[in-house]
Amino acid sequence: MRKTLLGLAGTVALLLGLATPSLAFEPVNVVHTEKVQAGPYDLTIGFSTWPLKAMQSLDFTFAPQDGIAGKKGTLELVLGEEVVEDDPLARHPRQLEVWGLDIAALPEPGTWTMRFAIDGPAGPGTGELTGLRVLEQPGPPLGLSWAVSTIPLFGLIALIVVAWRRTRTPVLD
Amino acid sequence: MAVTAVAAPSAKIAVQKGLVPASFVLAGALASLVGMSWDIQWHDDVGPDTFFTLPHLLMYSGSAFAGLASLFVVLTTTANTKRGKAVDPIVGGRAVGVLGRTFAAPVGYLISGSGAALFLMYGLWDQVWHSIYGFDAVIDSPPHIGLLLSVSITMVGTVMVFAVARDRRWGVNGLVVAAATLLMFSMVTVLGLRALPDGLVDAITVGSGFLAVAVLFAGAHVLNRRGAALAIGAVVAAVQTVLWFFSPWAAEVYADAMGLPLRDYLEGYPGMPSMIPMSLILVAVVVEVLRAAPPWVPGLVGGAVIAALAPVQNSLVQGSGFPGADKFLVTVVVGAAFGALAGMLGHRFGQMMRHLAPEKENRHA
Repeated sequence: MRKTLLGLAGTVALLLGLATPSLAFEPVNVVHTEKVQAGPYDLTIGFSTWPLKAMQSLDFTFAPQDGIAGKKGTLELVLGEEVVEDDPLARHPRQLEVWGLDIAALPEPGTWTMRFAIDGPAGPGTGELTGLRVLEQPGPPLGLSWAVSTIPLFGLIALIVVAWRRTRTPVLD
Repeated sequence: MAVTAVAAPSAKIAVQKGLVPASFVLAGALASLVGMSWDIQWHDDVGPDTFFTLPHLLMYSGSAFAGLASLFVVLTTTANTKRGKAVDPIVGGRAVGVLGRTFAAPVGYLISGSGAALFLMYGLWDQVWHSIYGFDAVIDSPPHIGLLLSVSITMVGTVMVFAVARDRRWGVNGLVVAAATLLMFSMVTVLGLRALPDGLVDAITVGSGFLAVAVLFAGAHVLNRRGAALAIGAVVAAVQTVLWFFSPWAAEVYADAMGLPLRDYLEGYPGMPSMIPMSLILVAVVVEVLRAAPPWVPGLVGGAVIAALAPVQNSLVQGSGFPGADKFLVTVVVGAAFGALAGMLGHRFGQMMRHLAPEKENRHA
């Protein structure tokens, strides 16, 4: 019993030790930028991978030339005529001095538009990044990925079928 | 005097046989559930991620814990079988041969251990996925659904382990908690149905109702006593309430410890607990009241109740808009039909698990 408790305490200590606040998160690594003029605001859009592919997640950064202090705004992600996302511009959790989207993916291939509305000391302004090409999803076909991922479900169904056949009579207490 | 002193502790150990490994797999299942709720909240409220965040480790250690406990039982049972020692089926049920007769595995621990082994394999598949699609935090990506299904299998094994001991108090209590844990966890796994095309039926709502009713019926029928469904519903409500407050609190405290701020625009509600239908307690009452009816009747009512009240809960908690009348009505009708099916299936699953226990006359007193 004592050995078990010591083992458990050791495991917990190891887990906590591995997860101390010294954990380092990956910095945002911008490899491509685009410029957008949103009224009076010069906006630099950063991408952590380029070119973009459907479903492939990356970090987006949105940086006004003179910083985000005193400014707020919204971002619409548009595919064709459909507004897929409409959210306020929020600080990037791993690069707090700019706005951003962390490990986000655009779900569909096609030509996307990023539509910005910014309000700040110089007044309101809007701007768009048009013609943002998103290529087909990488990797195996999605059907194959789902087939691999649902094997446990089919295993469970097989188990139920076997158990069903062997347990036709009720059990009374 | 000496005889009495020796006999007392050994008698106590005999009564408790099976409790320790069962508690370990249940603790693992609960760790997976709490870790999942905390991790979802971390992504919602804070964001930055590595494999080594505390909620991630809690989630993964839950499967590891349950898997190692299952492995220990299987190896011990195998060793005892090879030595010709009697194997007590109260520990996880009758032993079955695995890989010919290489291993003798009590069926409950075989299932819980298999789930944990699958979890490891889907961890690797998840790594492959991340290498292709980037380090995403998408709960319903295919490998994440594989991971969630693997944990669910461990939880099914946990329910089976306690079903074997349903005539002991610890068996009854453990089964209620294990069934409630599986039910709550299934409300996350069901998000895999988002992959289906959007239409007139809300697949998530129907799927949630189906799984909730099936697990509720299975657990209640294993115990086959008045109040069993209500007990499972009450434990779900209690754990849901605890996680409702714990998850955002834990995310914030951990963020503080890491020197990270919360996101600028929080959702304002707990992610995972809000997926669990609060109407479940009503469904449990229906199951109790209609106990004498064929299982499909309370199942149908339960599926309809969950489907009808899901938009109300989503509206109150998340501020979501109500679906159109046509989508609402079709979802309630389909939810009722799937609920009826879940009632019948759940009842039958309960019967299957009652077969896990050895005949009463062969059991320990």
